[in-house]
Amino acid sequence: MMDFHCHPVLVEEMVARHPELERAARQVFSIGNRFQPLETLLLELDVSGLERTVLLPIEATRTRGLPVYTNEQVAELVALAPRRLVGFASVDPLATDAADRLERAVADLGLRGLKLSPPTQEFYPDDPRAYPLYERACRLGVPVVMHTGMSWEPRARLAWGHPARLEPVLADFPDLRVVAAHFAWPWSLELAALALKYPNLFVDTAALYFDNPDDFIADLFVHRLSLTLIERSLRHQVVFGSNYPRVEIKNMARAVRRAGLSEPTLRLLFHDNGLRVLGEVSG
Amino acid sequence: MIIRLVEITVQSRVERELVDITPQVEQVVAESGVRDGLVNVLTRHTSAGILVTEGLECLEQDILDHLERLAPDHPQEYGYYHNRYLDFDGRLGFNAGAHLKSVLSGYFATFPIAGGSLVKGGRQRVYFAEYDGPLARQVVIQVLGEP
Repeated sequence: MMDFHCHPVLVEEMVARHPELERAARQVFSIGNRFQPLETLLLELDVSGLERTVLLPIEATRTRGLPVYTNEQVAELVALAPRRLVGFASVDPLATDAADRLERAVADLGLRGLKLSPPTQEFYPDDPRAYPLYERACRLGVPVVMHTGMSWEPRARLAWGHPARLEPVLADFPDLRVVAAHFAWPWSLELAALALKYPNLFVDTAALYFDNPDDFIADLFVHRLSLTLIERSLRHQVVFGSNYPRVEIKNMARAVRRAGLSEPTLRLLFHDNGLRVLGEVSG
Repeated sequence: MIIRLVEITVQSRVERELVDITPQVEQVVAESGVRDGLVNVLTRHTSAGILVTEGLECLEQDILDHLERLAPDHPQEYGYYHNRYLDFDGRLGFNAGAHLKSVLSGYFATFPIAGGSLVKGGRQRVYFAEYDGPLARQVVIQVLGEP
């Protein structure tokens, strides 16, 4: 059982080792909560009934002046709890050495996928300059988690997150496993259309923009989309993601479990689909 | 006059729990050198509390259940205005139930000190009350008095 969307920005052991992570958390990621020991994150997983979480950094040096975790820092954090934490890499998709940086992160640091955030990194997913990176991810067999939809970060413009700009990537790289984060809210229906069309597209549940997790997920799954759409057509393409620490894992897990999906579908969301994205099982 | 302030960390392990911190309070009092005075115990958080009650597991559960009935985390019949984006936190507020429990239970306790010991009932225990865990929480213990 896994959370596929966690930002490790509040882990105090890492801030103590790397003081610049405080500025990354406050000024780039825009989170105001207190730093917490790693134990709190692991206990969050425990009370949510989950074993593992995927850690997502953002390489924002070009646009924001510093990264929200370097790949090396992600690997360092994973080493503190290797059975509970799955580390992803992030690189600047417009850098000429982006593909090589990804390969080093996978080969040398043991990271398991790539995180890109178009609103923070200020690029469109279908920018041809990013294509060598997608080609390399395909060759390495690692998935890409792509921010889609609205971002709370103050400088992140909505246009960067529109899922329509993801379609060329899905079409041109049918072997690339892409996870569209945040269900692309407020363009969730458009994202669902892409997921219906492209079997290499997965979506995560890390969507919360008003109300509370229970009400928002119910509104998204039942009213804006349809439970039957997920149950019958997309159940193999949705993964559970919390967006911790903007949302506690426990609250998002509770909301998804109460949304009205069947137990077999919940098993897919919380377990099987994540393993497929990571390449731990085939199919 | 001695004034000593100590801050301790309480790591809560579940969403809602009562953590007995009486031994830590008594230790701070004992190490302060104060023989006659006061001790204040307070939490720095607004979704947690400080409670004084009898140290029984069954009573701990009754108190948490009663507070949940008075201030539910997920009410069915109404919502909370706190469920909105808080730009200073970079996240939505959806723990109004925890804040309301904190208001109901209070955030501090005070005890006299006489002869270098806490003056309290034999069954009274001092609890840190977690309403939004698991989290690492701060509790301030201040001792004031004459040596």
